[in-house]
Amino acid sequence: MKKTFEKNTFNKRLKSMLKVDTRRLIISPFFYIMVGISLVVPILILVMTSMMDGTVSTNPQTGQETVMHGFEYVWQILGSVSSTSAEQSSMSMDLVSMCNINMMYFAIAILVCVFVCDDFRSGYAKNLFTVRSKKTDYVISKTIVCSIGGGAMILAFVLGSVIGGKIASLSFEMIGFNAFNLICSIISKVLLVPIFVSIFLTMSVIGKQKSWLSICLSLGIGMFLFMVISIASPLNAGIIHITLCLAGSGCFAIGLGAISNIILKKTNLV
Amino acid sequence: MNAIEIRNLTKNFGTKQALQGLNMTVPIGSIYGFIGENGSGKSTTEKIICGLIRQSGGSVKLYGKDYTDIDIRAKVGVLIESPGCFPNMTVWNNLKLQADNLSIENPDDEIRKILKLVRMEGSAGNKYKNCSLGMKQRIGIAMALLGNPSLLVLDEPINGLDADGMRIMREVLVDIAKKGATIVISSHILGELEKIATHYGIVRGGKMIAEMTAQELDESCRRFVAVKVTKTDMAKSLLMRKYLRIEEDENQYLRVYDETTPEKIVCYLYENGVLINEIKTDKIGLEEYYIDLMKDKGGR
Repeated sequence: MKKTFEKNTFNKRLKSMLKVDTRRLIISPFFYIMVGISLVVPILILVMTSMMDGTVSTNPQTGQETVMHGFEYVWQILGSVSSTSAEQSSMSMDLVSMCNINMMYFAIAILVCVFVCDDFRSGYAKNLFTVRSKKTDYVISKTIVCSIGGGAMILAFVLGSVIGGKIASLSFEMIGFNAFNLICSIISKVLLVPIFVSIFLTMSVIGKQKSWLSICLSLGIGMFLFMVISIASPLNAGIIHITLCLAGSGCFAIGLGAISNIILKKTNLV
Repeated sequence: MNAIEIRNLTKNFGTKQALQGLNMTVPIGSIYGFIGENGSGKSTTEKIICGLIRQSGGSVKLYGKDYTDIDIRAKVGVLIESPGCFPNMTVWNNLKLQADNLSIENPDDEIRKILKLVRMEGSAGNKYKNCSLGMKQRIGIAMALLGNPSLLVLDEPINGLDADGMRIMREVLVDIAKKGATIVISSHILGELEKIATHYGIVRGGKMIAEMTAQELDESCRRFVAVKVTKTDMAKSLLMRKYLRIEEDENQYLRVYDETTPEKIVCYLYENGVLINEIKTDKIGLEEYYIDLMKDKGGR
């Protein structure tokens, strides 16, 4: 007895996989929680730091006084203006440099790891991979959908920053950049997301159902690249930054996507 | 051409050899009962067929092509161990995801049809985590049935089902097989499996120790004459004097496995003053055949 099977083209497979992942992201409360956090965090940071601005704390043992410095203007929470001067480009560990949009890439790691690990933890991977012997569509789809999710978190953070700035009555003044640069900077930050998503996705397929392992690996490996964010997307960004971020995203997505694909192919999925 | 052809399949988990050169042939359109003890390699074989784990050696062919063929694999339905559903999603959304995964046209109609088939139409809005074990099992079956699969791989699908659920499941599987689908079903509930299976494969220690059709099994099952008497002990000692293989089953029937007729036994016992309450001829079922086979192969 001869049995014929319908041709399952790459386009058809990718389309169906994108549908699955998009539906999962849209109906998942976790995604909305993460976007909500991205919206609320900058509001809290801006309001709290403006309240603490100028506060003097004294070390009871040494008697040394430390003055807390908050944000001078809203856009500082989205990054800094790149400069060639050694003084400005040196690493500083104050509140402004720690509590900014870069934190969101840590949060994106959690979103990606939980999103991917849920496939394996719930056992849905069995249904997915039984009908998909090629893992490429899975990797591509996850990269695209998680990048959209991560992009939404970045945009929510930008929106939260504007709201927080209004509440804290901070200045919206643009020093050393203009509105076009700001938009380019935000676009660059969104375009950086696929770079991190590719790393987190690779770590997630290594960890599979162990989301804690994926998150630890993602944060560990991702940390090496977090410093790139401020360099690649400064507040005075231009088209060149967008182009570089786009090219970087493409390279990382393809390179790490291929690695994820190999890991899925060569390892047991359940 | 067969639906599944496995040759010399091996799988090692570290130093443990889960499969040791397993061979398996599943004809198209058959309901293949895959039987074996816990840890004998059934689930491992099924996972390899579905591409969920990689084999260490050997070949697996589905419909004459390598098991990684994308077109064939798109028509495989699976229920291995537990249904792969997201606990916080509703039953409907879980099925909808699988319908998307399979690129089903008119997914809503298809889902309604499948839910009706597994008698779950009233529970579509329930969260998966709130469903009972039996309901979850039926959802798993519904997931596997979506997209009209050509090959169904079911691992313990009737676990947790009540009597009515088992009957429904039997009817569903027979109906699907009639439409041309091939079903590989592993279960420890051999009595249920016996009602539907057309072929059997018995696996032990990672090797296939017997493969046969239902007809071949029927022919190789031992026939016996079973009698129920009032004086069981006396009848037993009498029968043991004349016949070689006598056993008492759990229902207090004395089984005579030797070549004989009920008439001869009735006459013999009557002549020796034993009255018979019931007498019947029968043969051992799949379960007893399996136990016998395991004993022969040095098992229990």
